[in-house]
Amino acid sequence: MVNKMHLGWFMNFSRSTAWNSPWVLEEEARSWMNGDYHIDWVRSMERACFDFAMLEDSSMVADGYGGSMEIDLKYSLYAPKGDPLSIAPVLAKATEHIGIVSTASTSFYPPFLLARAMATIDHISEGRAGWNIVTSSEDRAAQNFNLEKLYEHDTRYEMADEFIEVVEGLWNSWDTDALVMDRSTNTYVDHRKVRPINHVGKYYQVRGPLNVLPSPQGRPVYCQAGGSPRGRQFAAAHADTIICAAQGVEDMREFRDDIRTRMKALGRNPDDCKVMYVVMPVLGETQADADRKYEEMKHPSDAGTEIALAHMGALTEIDFSTIAHDKPFPELTTNGHRTTLEKFLKLGKTPREAAGNWGIRYTDPTFVGTPEKVAFEMGRVFDEVGGDGFLLTGGGSRRAIAEITDGLVGALQQQGRSRTRYEHKLFRDNLLEF
Amino acid sequence: MSKKMHLGWFTNYLPPSWNRTFSGRAADSWASGDFHINLARRLEEGRLDYLLLEDSSYVSNTYGGDFDLELAQMARAPKNDPMPLAAAISRETRHLGLIATGNTTFYPPYLLARLISTLDHISKGRSGWNVVTGAPNQALANFGLDTDENLLDSASAHDRRYDMADEFVALVTKLWESWEEDAVITDRENDRYIDASKVHTVDHRGEFYASRGPLNTTPSPQYRPVICQAGGSPRGIRFAAKYAQTIVAIPKGVEHMREYCDSVHREMEAIGRDPDSCKIMFLVSPVIGETDAEADQRRATEMGRTDERIRQRLALMSGGEEDYSRYPLDSPLPEFADNGQSITNTFVRLNRGKLFSDALAQDNTESVELVGSPATVAERMSEITDATGGDGFLFYSGSGQLTMRYVDEIIDGLVPALQRGGVARTEYSASTLTGHLSEF
Repeated sequence: MVNKMHLGWFMNFSRSTAWNSPWVLEEEARSWMNGDYHIDWVRSMERACFDFAMLEDSSMVADGYGGSMEIDLKYSLYAPKGDPLSIAPVLAKATEHIGIVSTASTSFYPPFLLARAMATIDHISEGRAGWNIVTSSEDRAAQNFNLEKLYEHDTRYEMADEFIEVVEGLWNSWDTDALVMDRSTNTYVDHRKVRPINHVGKYYQVRGPLNVLPSPQGRPVYCQAGGSPRGRQFAAAHADTIICAAQGVEDMREFRDDIRTRMKALGRNPDDCKVMYVVMPVLGETQADADRKYEEMKHPSDAGTEIALAHMGALTEIDFSTIAHDKPFPELTTNGHRTTLEKFLKLGKTPREAAGNWGIRYTDPTFVGTPEKVAFEMGRVFDEVGGDGFLLTGGGSRRAIAEITDGLVGALQQQGRSRTRYEHKLFRDNLLEF
Repeated sequence: MSKKMHLGWFTNYLPPSWNRTFSGRAADSWASGDFHINLARRLEEGRLDYLLLEDSSYVSNTYGGDFDLELAQMARAPKNDPMPLAAAISRETRHLGLIATGNTTFYPPYLLARLISTLDHISKGRSGWNVVTGAPNQALANFGLDTDENLLDSASAHDRRYDMADEFVALVTKLWESWEEDAVITDRENDRYIDASKVHTVDHRGEFYASRGPLNTTPSPQYRPVICQAGGSPRGIRFAAKYAQTIVAIPKGVEHMREYCDSVHREMEAIGRDPDSCKIMFLVSPVIGETDAEADQRRATEMGRTDERIRQRLALMSGGEEDYSRYPLDSPLPEFADNGQSITNTFVRLNRGKLFSDALAQDNTESVELVGSPATVAERMSEITDATGGDGFLFYSGSGQLTMRYVDEIIDGLVPALQRGGVARTEYSASTLTGHLSEF
């Protein structure tokens, strides 16, 4: 008997660089924002009994590379990207079991708006809403929202802590039995079970109550992805699931152990939060087939190098076009994604080398091979780390999706490594099932 | 022959009726959106132009200082967020326009511009934004804005919110236009998805808002999604005349309806807009019967539920700062403070001299009373359209009062009568909301 792993997919409401793949319909490269493609995607995941779809988000067109929006738009990197809170209800209505996690930034949303939108999506999905809590990391996004610069890294987390206090106050402003529908007195809601929260804090003032009935899950499932010590502390305090982009088994284990220790110190049961590792398996009909694909990824074209460096530039607000691609990295710091930058610098001595390895960063530990072999390897790593699951990434075409949902997950299920049916109605219950 | 009229439905994401003979079990499961999806499908079968989802963001305890009346009557709460519902409905329908309310006092403009753009993509060109500026003190307090003296309930705050909305709409429009319509080129050969030279920052720095742009969504099918507005005050009418492609209006009686249309059209002409480019829709709640006599009977029964109606009206009116529980019901209607909102002012103007209780019991959120058989009401609607210069009607059955039976009476009874008379569309000729509105 082996332990089961949780499965999710790290995706966003975009068409990504894969728009130019031979497996993408010309028309759909343009019309994807009508949601058809993402509906098919999430339905495929539900067939494979994934725990959730995680819709990442950002609110800008990046221009960090060469000081122009050209590279970002040419390859469709950060933009265009549709609003995840709009597609989430659509995906919810097209499915019955899978969790739908949307990203929303505590730096840009008024808490009342966010609390209400999330509660509504939890109602519409009948208990399958999740919220990926981000504090945002780009000044370019802040400038779209009346700000010159983002608040400083640790301040953002302090604000996020208070933000969560506010939205939880709002979600709890109605007792779960407030809805009485008493026909004899013609009373829909018992007003004694609804109260203002009168929050007056350092960053927010919110009276409440929320104007929405208690939602099926009470609050959405919290997902979080901070890797810095402050981010880890935040995640340990609040998250039901954590996204971790780690390199290698040692790194994975260290992260999970650290989160579990922090949770215990905070009085939480460590099993109540599932750490999900981002992976990008390279699958083939045969091992040779997969190895060949892997070699191609390792040695990207100039376009591939440009894409990787533009991505990193947007995350860190460093203009890599001004840094020699073939010379050792100079000293670099950021107010953006700190951990991402640190990891990137470790991937190679020069920007070009790092860019090449960045393209394959989630393929190691060696998830390269036939579905059966990759499933076995994932199981082995999972056992070594101790839990809790994997977040797939990639998937720019229906063909690539099917390789995962039908190929890889088929093998995982045969090996008893992932669920073959949903046991519970609520997203959180499925997440806590094992 | 009378001119064709546009038709729509006005409602909100509140529970439907739950405690009446034909309520059914809809109120047990409305929050999942299924009731409203069903409603939207029925409206599409009636070939209506659009469904408008009204909204508000607070639970009021003005009346008597607690939430009792508010929540027992479902006057404003529970009310879910209309944006996710609009998204869900858009995938279950193919033609119906979907207009969701977004408040300019509470949304960051970038967030709103992106949301409406995304909804327009998801609905394949059927989305609209109902621009609301109204922000009672208790709603301001949910957003930490009640410390801003300039925004607190008063006639000057009312105008100031419109000044803010002017800039807000201008900015949202700039963000929609920050991508030229042909920016997406999908040039596979050169691996160029978008031509970056056709995407521009907006660099907006105004009195109330700053935003750099560009938007991070592609141009949506309508490019500029439909703007809807409901201003009744002179400032509101000026605003609507400037931006709206459709207006929700509740002037009382044919005389005022005509005056309303005239002033909107005058304002539009003054700024060089074709009056035909904005469709004025009057809110109505027709009472339909098999015969005129049966309809009269139903209306009388409905209006005769005096105590219940008084409670409903009191709850609806108690969203502002005036605590009506202080006024005895059996005394003449008092003069309430002018808060700049036309809806309160109209109520006072129309009911001067009446007992407060009578004024409440007889009040109804409709421009004109429509009672009769489908044929009678259809004919009356044509007369009104001809007499007022209006463009159509929005059906409304009161917050928390909606039943599927009522929807069926309108869609299967009244609308076919209008269609037989040649004054309502029998098939959609367009696939976008802009297309429906400009069809005739």
